[in-house]
Amino acid sequence: MGRYVIRRLLQFIPTVLGTMFLLHYITSLAIQFSGNPVRAIFGDRTPPPALLAAVTERLGYGDPCLDQKGNPCFGLFLDRMQKIFSLNPDFGVNLRLRPVTELVSDALPYTLKLLVIAILFQSIVGIAAGVWAGLRSGSFADNLVKISTVFLISVPIFVLGLVVREFVGVKFGNVLRGQEWIPEVISRGVFSPGFKPDYPLASLIIPGMVLGAVSLATTARLTRTSIMENLRADYVRTARAKGLANKRVIGVHTLRNSLIPVITFIGVDIGSSMAGAVVTETIFNVPGIGRLVTLAARTGESSVVIGVVTMLVLVVLIANLLVDILYAVLDPRIRYE
Amino acid sequence: MRGKFLKVAVAATATTMLATACSGGGNDSSDDAAGQAGGELRIYNAEPAFLLPSAGDDEPSLYVIRQLYSQLVKYNAETGAPENDLAESIESTDQKLWTIKVKSGYTFDNGEPVNADAFIRAWNFAAYSPNGQNNGYFMKKIAGFKDLQSTDPDGDGPKKAPEPKAKELSGLKKVDDLTFTVELDTPFSGFPTTIGYPGFSPMAKACVDDSEKCNETPIGNGRYKIEGSWQHNVGINLVRSDTYKGEPGKADKLTYRIFADVDAAYASFQSGELDVMYTLPPARYKEAKSQYGDRLFELAGDSLTYVGMPIYNDAFKKKEIRQALSLAIDRQSIIDAVFDGRQAPATGFIAPSFQGARENVCQYCKKDVEKAKALLAAAGGWPAGQKLTLWANAGAGHDQWLQAVGDQIKAALGIDYELKVNLQFAQYLETADAKKFTGPFRLGWGPDYPYLETFLAPLYSTGADSNNSTYANPEFDSLLTQGDGANSIDEAIPFYQKAEDLILEDLPVLPMWWRKEAAVYSENVDKFVWNKVSDADYGSISLKQN
Repeated sequence: MGRYVIRRLLQFIPTVLGTMFLLHYITSLAIQFSGNPVRAIFGDRTPPPALLAAVTERLGYGDPCLDQKGNPCFGLFLDRMQKIFSLNPDFGVNLRLRPVTELVSDALPYTLKLLVIAILFQSIVGIAAGVWAGLRSGSFADNLVKISTVFLISVPIFVLGLVVREFVGVKFGNVLRGQEWIPEVISRGVFSPGFKPDYPLASLIIPGMVLGAVSLATTARLTRTSIMENLRADYVRTARAKGLANKRVIGVHTLRNSLIPVITFIGVDIGSSMAGAVVTETIFNVPGIGRLVTLAARTGESSVVIGVVTMLVLVVLIANLLVDILYAVLDPRIRYE
Repeated sequence: MRGKFLKVAVAATATTMLATACSGGGNDSSDDAAGQAGGELRIYNAEPAFLLPSAGDDEPSLYVIRQLYSQLVKYNAETGAPENDLAESIESTDQKLWTIKVKSGYTFDNGEPVNADAFIRAWNFAAYSPNGQNNGYFMKKIAGFKDLQSTDPDGDGPKKAPEPKAKELSGLKKVDDLTFTVELDTPFSGFPTTIGYPGFSPMAKACVDDSEKCNETPIGNGRYKIEGSWQHNVGINLVRSDTYKGEPGKADKLTYRIFADVDAAYASFQSGELDVMYTLPPARYKEAKSQYGDRLFELAGDSLTYVGMPIYNDAFKKKEIRQALSLAIDRQSIIDAVFDGRQAPATGFIAPSFQGARENVCQYCKKDVEKAKALLAAAGGWPAGQKLTLWANAGAGHDQWLQAVGDQIKAALGIDYELKVNLQFAQYLETADAKKFTGPFRLGWGPDYPYLETFLAPLYSTGADSNNSTYANPEFDSLLTQGDGANSIDEAIPFYQKAEDLILEDLPVLPMWWRKEAAVYSENVDKFVWNKVSDADYGSISLKQN
């Protein structure tokens, strides 16, 4: 097990370096083809050349290779890597001179909270709905879960987010806010139309649920099929035949085996949830990683894009590793040597 | 809604009572007819770029900096005329050497005095190019500015720029503790109106010494001071400063909530979580107008959208061609169709709200197809088979109206057009700087200070930085120089107006429209104050107290 983990960790190195180079190349190409982002700061006012040069240099866009279309800027890449992998990691600054490490550490807690809410929501509700439907194949419950999940899967997340913000946050929320007996943490926190610094956790619940909604549908469907399949398996029949209580047959034997694909899905899904956070965080004004990277990509802040996306890659890699380790825990047949 | 409001009101009354008790009654001017003091004003804002007055030059930054810092001059809310604020007097006999006396007794939040040194220090810091302060540009009229700029040694991109020749502006001289003189390169009658811009704020020594810290936790000298620090992307909380000697702010607290998306902010406003929004999502403008009625504030603003003419291109050299193109466009119909009426058609080059602006002076800004055809014919017609290329930057929603402009020109004059709207803003601006446009191009302009010269000199005088059409007219330049050197603003205005007449005839750019400002405020607001120059004046907005 230990050797396996070390091998996997070593594999991270080329993956991360490769990603960083790709990001570096893409953002450099973007600058080479669409112009110096520093010039855009000044807008309609043409800055004196000396000022433009000084600011460009200070923000780290002064390398002459950024003027040569197609040049992969190896020198600049090495420069960046040296700064990042030094004793004092330096990912550079954004166009407003704030260090990227600081930007990320400010934004990360919000995104993590959002992700935890989303994953809790999708696994608790999704697995419960899946089990409920799976045990009663063909019943009303089964059909209800099937239809509602199809609905959730077919609505894109930005539509869902906007609809929830307008109808749950604004319209329904305003009704709640008019009722004085409802505690403010509910009416102004949970049902606020977006993130609110006064209620930092309560106001993230609905955005988190929206983020988890699409994956919830997939989780529920996976659990349902998996349960139905396992209920017909030999070992379940054996368990029943040896006279185990139904609770134990379902709760321990069936569920544990049925959850393997579900766990894989949830693990892999952390990556795409991060992508979903880009949308939900913008709609619900959550000051997290997603909003940060959207704004950075829009203004061409390569240092921010490289820093944040590298970190996202690390998160996905670690999540995948954890999923693989969890397999061994769930399925005794799987061993890593 | 009501529950929270009552609580806020109760808390506010309590603090007001405390405040009056402490001040001993001497200073009760806050209870006049202009609305009572107290309460928390919750304000929509986007993430500011900087809170350092020498660096912040974008709207969200200025909205915060204006409450944190006071300047030598402030602008009258109704007329926009400059009035002394921190300045006791600003005088000059030749419009070139200005003597400024600062009122005594004002201090920064950290106790440092606001004196002549505070201004000299701040302006030097802004102008010194290695500091990279965006507002350094505003100091360029002061003598010695060039010596503070590092020059590019070989002229091909930045390598290692050498140290500038000097660290301090030679034009700034301290006379005594509260008096200093400013020497300009050339006379400028509008100088007193320019120094109300927040880029000219004084800065404490502690602030200049550690400007990064001062950006996070500003050391201001204004009506409000920061509570805690700037919470990036989340909010900025200001409280009324009790050491401020001038007229105090109305609300006890100004709470800026930071939004990345104006639609998300509007949802918060609809939920009663914001009291003021200085702008509206374009798609919600009509709805807001019917829903909030008299709580929607509108004013024809001073941001100009124009279509520039590349005079460096042979096809646009003749002024008749430019006049014909302008006459082919019906501005109002485009505004109604594309912007829901949220712009005001331009009828001159100077914002209608400015002193010295004249209505309906542009005879080529109204649609007149017959005249347009005649002018085009007189100029020898449009080269056959050549398409008119219309330029705009990508992703900012300009394609729609530019297409309408193209369609109207095609219908009126039969000139086929194509849109070139695929360049990102940075590249687009670089194309502008390099003078490489092959056809009419969209750009905008907002005033730097409330003086009509700001709409003329930077855009159309020969060789000016933002003169993207490369218009050059010695007569125009000389009229501006005469205006700059006039003895007073009133004497200067006729010169500027004559200069405007020249470009109204030559049309180096086609003025299109002025943006209409639209702000909404909540029922909690008692009196909404919009300053003609500095926009929403949060410190002067009072809340209902009950």
